[in-house]
Amino acid sequence: MPRLLATNAVLTTLVAITSATATFADIKLNGAGASFPAPLYRFWVSEYQKAHPNVKIDYQSIGSGGGIKGITDKTIDFGATDAPLNKKEIEGLGGADKIIQFPLIIGGVVPAYNLPGVDKDLNFSGEVLAKIFLGEIATWNDPEIVALNPEAKLPASPITPAWRSDGSGTTYVFSSYLATQYSAFESTVGTGKQIRFPLGQGGKGNEGVAAIIKQTPGSIGYIEHNFATANRISYGAVRNAAGNFIKATPANMSVAGEASADSLKGDVLAANIWNQPGAEVYPISAFSYIILYKDLGNLASIEEAKALTAFFRWALSAGQDRAGSMDYAPLSAGVRSRVEASLDRLTFKGASLK
Amino acid sequence: MSQAASHPDRGPAIPPGSPTAARRAKTGLGDLALGIMARFGAASIIFMLTALLFVLFTAALPSVRQFGANFFISTQWRVNTLEKPAIGPDGRVLKEDGETVMTTIPPAFGALPTIYGTAVTSFIALVVAVPLSFGAAIFIVRVAPRWKIAGPISFLIELLAAIPSIAYGLWGLYVLAPFLRDWVAPTLQKVLGDIPAFRWMFFETITIAGRLQERPIAFTGRDMLCGGLILAIMILPIITAVARDVLRAVPRAQIEGSLALGATWWQSCWGMLRYARAGLFGAVVLGLARAAGETMAITMVIGNNNQIAASPFAPAQTMASLLASEFREAAGLHRAALLEVALVLLIMSLIFNVVARWLFVGGQSRSAAAH
Amino acid sequence: MRSQGVGQLGRWYSRIMFGVCVGFAALIIALLSLVIWYLLAIGAQSVDLAFFTQDQSGDPTAPGGMRHAIVGTLVLVGLASAVGVPMGMLAGIHMAEYSQETWLAKPARFIADVLAGVPSIVIGILGYELIVVPMGNFSGWAGAAALAFIMIPIVARTTEEMLLLVPNSYRAGSFALGATKAQTILRVVLPAASGSVVTGIMLALARVAGETAPLLFTALGSRFLTLDPNQPFPSLTVQIYTYATGPYEAERRLAWAGILVLISILFALNLTIRVVAARSARHLKSN
Repeated sequence: MPRLLATNAVLTTLVAITSATATFADIKLNGAGASFPAPLYRFWVSEYQKAHPNVKIDYQSIGSGGGIKGITDKTIDFGATDAPLNKKEIEGLGGADKIIQFPLIIGGVVPAYNLPGVDKDLNFSGEVLAKIFLGEIATWNDPEIVALNPEAKLPASPITPAWRSDGSGTTYVFSSYLATQYSAFESTVGTGKQIRFPLGQGGKGNEGVAAIIKQTPGSIGYIEHNFATANRISYGAVRNAAGNFIKATPANMSVAGEASADSLKGDVLAANIWNQPGAEVYPISAFSYIILYKDLGNLASIEEAKALTAFFRWALSAGQDRAGSMDYAPLSAGVRSRVEASLDRLTFKGASLK
Repeated sequence: MSQAASHPDRGPAIPPGSPTAARRAKTGLGDLALGIMARFGAASIIFMLTALLFVLFTAALPSVRQFGANFFISTQWRVNTLEKPAIGPDGRVLKEDGETVMTTIPPAFGALPTIYGTAVTSFIALVVAVPLSFGAAIFIVRVAPRWKIAGPISFLIELLAAIPSIAYGLWGLYVLAPFLRDWVAPTLQKVLGDIPAFRWMFFETITIAGRLQERPIAFTGRDMLCGGLILAIMILPIITAVARDVLRAVPRAQIEGSLALGATWWQSCWGMLRYARAGLFGAVVLGLARAAGETMAITMVIGNNNQIAASPFAPAQTMASLLASEFREAAGLHRAALLEVALVLLIMSLIFNVVARWLFVGGQSRSAAAH
Repeated sequence: MRSQGVGQLGRWYSRIMFGVCVGFAALIIALLSLVIWYLLAIGAQSVDLAFFTQDQSGDPTAPGGMRHAIVGTLVLVGLASAVGVPMGMLAGIHMAEYSQETWLAKPARFIADVLAGVPSIVIGILGYELIVVPMGNFSGWAGAAALAFIMIPIVARTTEEMLLLVPNSYRAGSFALGATKAQTILRVVLPAASGSVVTGIMLALARVAGETAPLLFTALGSRFLTLDPNQPFPSLTVQIYTYATGPYEAERRLAWAGILVLISILFALNLTIRVVAARSARHLKSN
């Protein structure tokens, strides 16, 4: 018995010692939030670590709501969200002058579906998607879907919508877009990070919804573009404001963000880039944002603050070039320079990080 | 040496000045230390329960104050605010300066859908598990000893109780759910689908475009039936083990007496069940407590749709799966509402465990009095 | 008991019910074994050396291994037992040896039984509110604390029951030789029950090693092999859950392998525990 207690005491001391030595050598940073950009952020982090082996950045995909909550509670070093902060959330963080929020990448929300036997890519319009998720269109061979896809052989099976059960920026983007396309949408289920559709299945994270779509024949869900391509899930084209059916690609998502550079003001940068005009624009594109305190005093040391800022600068330059390979879309030059200007204003306990 | 037994709590049987007295004076400190530490350990257990109740209650207070008793009968769980066109006194949409006036409907939280989900899945679990467990317990107590396999079978069942719930979740998601979706549900629909009495199983009524509509249910495999069946599999070992212990405690006189009076094997078993009914009920309650508190397996197979639907083929949400899905990112009133749900779950499990204990103690004293 | 004459119908009914009971027992074992066999079979196809030697890479199509998660679980369980085992044993000692003071022992015993049945997700929420929020980040400490919360009542009750099994003659003899109460407990009673007490502790460890829900809100998770409990901490169960509910085939294969490893460890642990328990119970009886 005393031996057992002694071994425990040794173990705890060992852990305490190794934890002290670990923090001495490595820089460990924690971020969490949106699942929308998670595959790209993880890719960036491991690429960055190849060049800077002692910078270990952990990104947990827990949904935009989790990212906002985490950075408000200061349980993480940086938060990621696709839904820009609203007034209440900004107040919770201490006010607009205490934080910076900046877009880091552009992604697209695609309507992904599981229809065995239908191998053509389907066309959708925003209104049809809204009606599907509201339950007004019940089966795959509904006349409105057939009208958009005259050559596809659509079965008579029921549609199972798959959506997010957690606080999701992807839901925010998708519902906001649908509200612009179908007037009844906003008043029936509303827009926001967490809405409950009348029927269907809920999943956690883009990962969960992608899993549901993959496993459930006859289902349709809204997920980020990368999740559809990486998991070989069929996804459809969406009719944009110009009337063309566009299937998401990095190029047509990037175009959506170009016009927004001028509207980004201050340090809490946000712009909605869905439903943009233009012939080749993907209509459900969106920025994904990072939230940081302007004074990074909540980090452990100035080295950590410098490392974090350096990572974001890398992501804004070299990282953007690699985003296309992961099926995300880079920011335009105008947006990048706006973000760089905000990053320049970061401090650590008053000391500038430049 | 005339040493009386020097029990520390009895009077000084030790001659002062003797070596024993000297030794005790030196080690008295060790006595004190262990006594204090042991008391501290026991107190920590009481502290844990009070901390649980206190922390949950204070954190849930905003929700308790806002919704009151309505929390338990409201079917709304809406995290976002809703903007609805305001309806004027003439029944038509209000317009101001040519634009529609919108009223904002704030978030509203009600626990009824999750309570319903917990109740239905637990009910399905008990309906399936209790007969199986009781039958197996009777087997272990009455039949297996003759076949010399009582030990190995009990051992096997207790071993199977050690499987972590996430293993069941994986199996449920990738084996049971597709099986239910592709075989069980369509077969049931073919057999029962046309009988009007079973219509509720295959159709659901949803509010679509402002009107109630009846829709055929699309089978996904992730629904209350799958959740209930997974829970049933998970609580089989615990109900069997407890029922076995309870039945073993039935005095042999009871069994032999009934057999001597000419009862059949089953009639004597039935007599056992009746005799031990308090303890067996306790076993059921323990199983129910486990089923209601289960999180991981059920979150993976229940469909995560916080609604009330009549059909077992519809998705739902239990209290535990709601917490697993939404707690990590909840803030403000949403978080307080979730904590209120957690408080309800805690109090429910406390009540179940207390009732089960009371049933066992009652059963034991009854069998003791019978001698 | 109604002593009526039982006709042929009653006898047939009894035989049928006999068959039903045998059938149900067989069904339970078959069902549970089917589940386990399936998990082990799929897991065996998916496990390889990389599982044990690599950590999580950033790439979901080639996710690496779960070394970080296995080490994470070992560390978390170790930290939890550093607090949980002594506290639980002390509480058990109090309830068994000092139970003259019933104002503490009786409620402690009752509450320990009741706490053992609290859903572990509620314990996780407690850990979040008590440790994560004041500390400012998700951490291994919070995860270990949540696991310790679960361990303490179990260890306390099993320690108490095993100590009560030690015959009073041991204690009387020890006092007769002049030992103090502390010496009696620590050097006579506890060693006599040590086999069973260790059994109880290891059962608690096995239970806690398989827990997922309490770690979701406390330790969160990490893709790095780390020994620093001040940061978010990986664990085998949470990692399996994350992979299992995702869409990536490669990650899901790792989840199956993880289940195989987890079940194998827990089975081996439980097997050894019960064998040791049976042996030490025989040893105690023969005295």
